[in-house]
Amino acid sequence: MRDYRGVALVCPVSVPYARQSAHGAAWFIGGVLRELLERAGLSKQALDGFSVSSFSLAPDSAIALTQHLNLTPRWIDEVNLGGVSGLVSMRRAARAIQAGDAEVIACVGGDGAGHRSFEDTAANFSSWSIDASFPYGAGGPNAAFSLITAHYMERYGAQREDFARICLDQRYNANHYPNALLGHKTLTLSDYLDARPIAGPLHLFDCVMPCAGGEGFLVMTEEHARSLGLPWVRILAAEELHNAHAQDPIQYRGGWTEYKDRLYDTAGLGPTEIDCLQTYDDYPVISLMQMEDLGFCQKGEGPQFVNETDMRFDHSGAGARKLPHNTCGGQLSCGQAGSAAGFLGLTEALRQLTGTAGAHQVAEAKSALVSGYGMINYDRGLCSAAALLMAGDA
Amino acid sequence: MDGTLRRRNKWARPSLRARARPPKHRSPLGQAFSAVNLAAALMLQKCLACGRERYPSTEICGHCLSGDWLFAPVSGAGTLLATSALQHSLWEYFKRRILKQPWLICSVRLDSGPTVIAHLGDTSLSAGERVEVFSHRDVSLSAVMIAVAESEGLVQAERSACVSRLGLDEPAHREGGLQ
Repeated sequence: MRDYRGVALVCPVSVPYARQSAHGAAWFIGGVLRELLERAGLSKQALDGFSVSSFSLAPDSAIALTQHLNLTPRWIDEVNLGGVSGLVSMRRAARAIQAGDAEVIACVGGDGAGHRSFEDTAANFSSWSIDASFPYGAGGPNAAFSLITAHYMERYGAQREDFARICLDQRYNANHYPNALLGHKTLTLSDYLDARPIAGPLHLFDCVMPCAGGEGFLVMTEEHARSLGLPWVRILAAEELHNAHAQDPIQYRGGWTEYKDRLYDTAGLGPTEIDCLQTYDDYPVISLMQMEDLGFCQKGEGPQFVNETDMRFDHSGAGARKLPHNTCGGQLSCGQAGSAAGFLGLTEALRQLTGTAGAHQVAEAKSALVSGYGMINYDRGLCSAAALLMAGDA
Repeated sequence: MDGTLRRRNKWARPSLRARARPPKHRSPLGQAFSAVNLAAALMLQKCLACGRERYPSTEICGHCLSGDWLFAPVSGAGTLLATSALQHSLWEYFKRRILKQPWLICSVRLDSGPTVIAHLGDTSLSAGERVEVFSHRDVSLSAVMIAVAESEGLVQAERSACVSRLGLDEPAHREGGLQ
C-alpha cells in the first residue's frame, strides 16, 4: 500500500455539543464548515472536496448539503460508518489529495438530537436489529454490549473497577475540556460503582449519552498547509478492516489484530513511543479491547494494563506507565454525537498534535494513535480502523 | 416522516395507553419468519445450494452467496454465550416489565452456526451451558426466540407455558388506571 506522504490534516474543529437540540444535522455540519473555513482563512470557492458523515441527515444527503450551503465540490463523499467515519473519510480524502482529485477537502461529521430521536435510530438501525435484536427489549446498543461485556469479564476476569479506570481518567480529562457535556461534573469511584444499573454489568457511566454536535477537519497538501501558515499533522500509517473475526461466536477482539503489525512497521513507531492514544469508547470494554488488539498489552491483560497506567492528559495520575488516553474525555464524558463521535478521537488527536488543545494539552505531544470501531448491525461492532499521526513539523 | 416511522413513534411513546406490546415492526423477511414459525418449534432459512442454516434472515446466503433458500424445521440446540438482565429499555412494553423486575435476555450459538439473541426462559442458566432455542409468537403476534435448558422434545404446550411464564403472551398493563 502506498504511504500518505504529502498529505496534511489541519484545523480540527468541534462545535459545542447539546444534549438535545431543535437544530438538525445540517446545522451542526454547516457550523463545522463555517469554522473550518474561518480558521483556515479560505473562501467557500477554495473548498473543492466535501466528505460528510451523519446518521440523521435523511432524507437529505451530502449532495443536498452542497445546494443548502452553496458549495461546488469536484470531489464528494458520504461515509456513514458511525465510529470509524472520521478515520475512513480521512483515508479517502488523503488519497484524493495525493491523486490531485481535489485540493482542499472538508471532512465533517455531524448529527442532531431531536426529542427522542435516538429511539428512532435505535429501533430502525438495520434490518437485522429490527428483526432480531430490537424486539428483545434492547435499548439501542446497550443490550448487545452488555452481552459482550459480560462475556469479556467472565473470560478474562475483568472487574467493574477496571472499567472504572477508563471512565474516571477520562472524566478528569473532560474536566479540562470546555466542550465536554459532562466536563463540569467530577466522577468518583463510588459514583461509578453505585450508578444506576442499565443492562447486565453495564451501569450508567459505562454508557455514552446520545447528543447533538459536529466535528471536522481539513485535508490538503503539505505545501498548501505551509503556505496558509497552518499547523498540520501528517499520516504515518492508516488501516481499516470490517467484519473481521466473523467466526467468533461473541466479540472479544476486532479487526485491529490483523493490521497492527503493518501499521507500526509502516509508521516506524511502536506502541511505547506514542504520546497519546484516542480509542473509540462507546463502552469501556471496547477501549480495553482496542488497547489489547493494538498491542499496548497482550489479549486479556487489558484490566491489568489500565490499572498500571495513568491515562490522564497531564500525567497527574497514580499509574507508573503514562499514556494519555481520550484526552478530551472521549464520548463517555463528551457525549456521543452520532457520526461526529467517529470524528471525536481524530479531531482531538489533531488538536493535541497541532498544540491547540488549550487547557487539556498533553505536554510535547508529537505522535498519536487514533482508533475507531462501530456499527452494531446485530450482535457486534463490524468496523475497525486505526491511524498513526505525527505533528507535521516534528 | 413516513408512515412506518409515524406508527413506530406512536407505538413507542410512553403513553396513557392501557396496554403496551413488544415491537411488532419487522423487515419483509422478518415477517415471513414470523409467519412460518407460527406452526413450528423453530424454522430457519436453509440455503438450497450449500445447505447452511442462517439467522437473522437474509436474501442471500452469507456463505455461498446463493439466492435460493427455504424455511426449514431445524434443531434449536446450542450453547449459551452470555446472559444479561436489562434494567433499561426504550420500548414501553419492556419499560413496564422492567419496573417489576429486570428483563432477561441471552445470546446463543446454535450448533448449526448462527448466533441468536433470545429471551431467557430459564433463570438458572449461565454462560457455556447447553440450551434449546425455540420460537413462539408474542402478544404482538410476531415470532420471537426463547432459550431454555436443553431438553428432548419440548411439546407445544410446554413451549406456550414458558411464554406465559415470561409474560410474553400478555400486554404490559398500565398501573393505576387511565387518566
